Amino acid sequence: MDEKQQENWLDRQLREAAPYIDDQGFTSRVLKQLPARRRRRDSLRAVILLGITFLASVLAYGLSDGGRFVVVAMERLTTLPTLWLFALAFGCGIAVMAGGIFAAIFKTRELQS
Amino acid sequence: MELTDADLIARVLVDDDQHAFGELARRHQSSVRGLLRQLTRTDVALADDLAQETFLRAYKNIRSFRGEARFSTWLYRIAYNCFRENARRRKELVGIDEEQLQSEHDPHVADPGLRHDIMHALSLLPLPERSAILLCCQNGLSHDEAARVLDIPLGTVKTNMLRGREKLKRTLAAWGPD
Repeated sequence: MDEKQQENWLDRQLREAAPYIDDQGFTSRVLKQLPARRRRRDSLRAVILLGITFLASVLAYGLSDGGRFVVVAMERLTTLPTLWLFALAFGCGIAVMAGGIFAAIFKTRELQS
Repeated sequence: MELTDADLIARVLVDDDQHAFGELARRHQSSVRGLLRQLTRTDVALADDLAQETFLRAYKNIRSFRGEARFSTWLYRIAYNCFRENARRRKELVGIDEEQLQSEHDPHVADPGLRHDIMHALSLLPLPERSAILLCCQNGLSHDEAARVLDIPLGTVKTNMLRGREKLKRTLAAWGPD
């Protein structure tokens, strides 16, 4: 008998001999044993961030004579030329977009690694 | 459109999506359980316990899956480690006791079917040869992938494959092609 032919036959039989095993509730049992989802930790993070933001806003309002600096800044803005206002808005938009792109790249790299 | 393994893994990583992990488990449960059944010499209950442990570990450590190998290869490695740890605990990882296996093999109760004979012949192989044959021939891994799963040198995998194949050919000689 040809050696190669015999090896091919054996390989084929080995592949075919492995039966498909029906799930029969196996996956459900695995899912029941999985640890609880991390949602609680995520919501805690959101609460902390919102809390700190609120605290910082209250502090800034209190320390700046009832938000007087906002009124002053708005008054200054109204005196700026229109072109300057457009440039400022454009610059702010670019800065926010750059931040978003940086965050997306960082997250993608984190997922890939 | 059916999601790929990579899509499902991304969902588990980003959203901690347990349904996505369930789909991964459903896809790979047969091959993982089949491998463990052969490694444990058809001890179905033990094999299924180890398979559950395999998927639980996979879920807990999915962040360490770097995508350099196929997800199934990564699962086989975890499954083999689970089996090895269990075997160590049970002090069974000492190679095969040929005499014991011969006594286990009762030709009078053997199923005449070729599939049964192949599975039985596989169970007679020593663990290193059985593992290599199972991974490469039944589960379609390359020698290199099998070496990574078994954590042994590539040359050892090739040697174990050769030896295992020779023994299987001898055992199954009566069934071979004419």
